[in-house]
Amino acid sequence: MSPFRLLLLGLATSAALRLGAAEPAAPDPVPPGFVRIPAGNYSPVLRMKDEPETVPVAAFLLQGRPVTNAEFLAFVQANPKWRSSQVSPLFADTGYLGEWAGALELGPGAPADSPVVRVSWFAARAYARWKGLRLPTTAEWERAAAAGYEVEDGQTEAAFRDAVITWFTVPNLRPLPAAGRGRPNYFGVRDLHTLIWEWVDDFNTALTTGESRADSGLERDLFCGAGSVGARDTGNYPAFMRAGYRSSLRASYTVPNLGFRCALSLSP
Amino acid sequence: MKLFALLCLAVFASTPATAQPAAAPAVPGRAAPALPPKSLYHLDSTWTDDTGQTRQLLSLLGDPVVVAMIFTNCEYACPIMVTDLLRIRAALPAAERARTKFLLVSFDDVRDTPPVLRAYRAKMNLEAPAWQLFHGAAPDIQELALLFGVKVKRDARGQFSHSNLITVLNPTGEIAYQREGLRGDTDEVVRAVTATLK
Repeated sequence: MSPFRLLLLGLATSAALRLGAAEPAAPDPVPPGFVRIPAGNYSPVLRMKDEPETVPVAAFLLQGRPVTNAEFLAFVQANPKWRSSQVSPLFADTGYLGEWAGALELGPGAPADSPVVRVSWFAARAYARWKGLRLPTTAEWERAAAAGYEVEDGQTEAAFRDAVITWFTVPNLRPLPAAGRGRPNYFGVRDLHTLIWEWVDDFNTALTTGESRADSGLERDLFCGAGSVGARDTGNYPAFMRAGYRSSLRASYTVPNLGFRCALSLSP
Repeated sequence: MKLFALLCLAVFASTPATAQPAAAPAVPGRAAPALPPKSLYHLDSTWTDDTGQTRQLLSLLGDPVVVAMIFTNCEYACPIMVTDLLRIRAALPAAERARTKFLLVSFDDVRDTPPVLRAYRAKMNLEAPAWQLFHGAAPDIQELALLFGVKVKRDARGQFSHSNLITVLNPTGEIAYQREGLRGDTDEVVRAVTATLK
C-alpha cells in the first residue's frame, strides 16, 4: 500500500474530517488518477446581482474520469448501509443503483469500467469521504469543464463546442461506455461533457424556482435575496443546461445518467 | 398529552438492538427506536441549542415540530418568516399549541453561536420551551437543508440567499407538510400540524 493511500485512510477515519473541521488536503505529487487544475476563474452563467462576473478558483485536484461501477461496488462492500438493500430512504430514492443486477452484483447493465450512475448526492458524498476525498464545487467543476481540447477557453474552440452540443442531441447509450476513454481536455481531464452528468458538492445553490416562467424575476417572497439573480453570457448554452439541471435535483434523487467524480484540495 | 411520548419511549426501551429494520439504521451502533424509515430522527448530526446544550434531532421525538432554517443577520426574509411562525403558533388551538415545538436552525455556522441565538430569542420574543434554536456545523447544516430541499447560497459578505421553507414534522420526525414563500395563509399549516396529532 502506498504512503498516499495510508494518508487517505488516516484522513477518512479522522473525526475532524467527519465534522468538517478539516478539509482533505492533497500531498505532493499529484496522486494517480488525478489531474491538477491550476488556479483560474469561473464565470457563472447565473449569478447574484452583487456578485462579481468571475469567481477565483484556487488550484485543486480533480479525478481524471468519473467514478466507475467497480469502484462504487468496493465502497458498498465495505459500507453495508450504502447497499441498495439497506440504504436509508432519506439518502437515496428507490432507483438507487438501479442499473446493477443486485445489491452486490453489477451485471450486464453496469459494466465494471463504466461510470456509476443512479447514485444520490448523499451516496456520492459518502463515497468521497470514505476515500478521503470530496466532491468538487460547482465553481471547480465548471472551471475544469470550461477548458476545450486544445485551449483553456473552450468557448473559442469550435470543435469542442460542437462536441458538447452534439451530446445533448444523442440518446444515452445503454449500457454506458467505459469511463476514461473520452478525449482529454486541455488539462487532461476526460468525460466531463459527453458521457454523463455529474453531481457537485453545492448543487443546491442555484436559486431558481421550480416554475421556469417565474424565473425571469425570481419571486422575492420565495427567496431571501432573490430578484437579484441574473443571467450573463447567454451564448454558453451547455452551461445553462447544467445550471438548470442542477437546480432541478434533490439530494436523494438517483438518475440514470447522473454520476460523479471526486476532488481534493491542494495544501496552501 | 404525554401519552404518545411515553409510548414512544416504551417502544424505544423495548426494541432490542438486533431487531432494527434493515432500512432504518442511519445511526449505526445504537439501538434505534422504532422510527419510520423516512424519519429525520435517524440523523446522527449533533447541534447546540441556544442554552449551550448538545442536541440531536431525536430529542424532538414525540411532538409535532414546525421547522424553518434562518440566519440572524438576515435583513429581509427571516424576520418575516419568524413572524409567520409566531402567527401560526398563535392560530393553533390551545391543546395543539401546548404540544407543538417551533425549531429554528441557523444556516450561519460562523456567526450564529449559541449566545447570538439566545439574543435572537430575546429580540424576537420566542418563548421557551416551545421555541428551540439550533446552531450546527456546516456539513450538518448542508445535509439538513438538502433533506428539506432548501436551496441556500452564502455570498461574499457572509449573508445567505435561501429559499423560505416552512416544514412540519410529525411526532416521529417525518416531513408531513412543507410550504414555500412568505406571508402565506396560516390555516394550511395549522391544519397540517393538527393532522399530525390525529
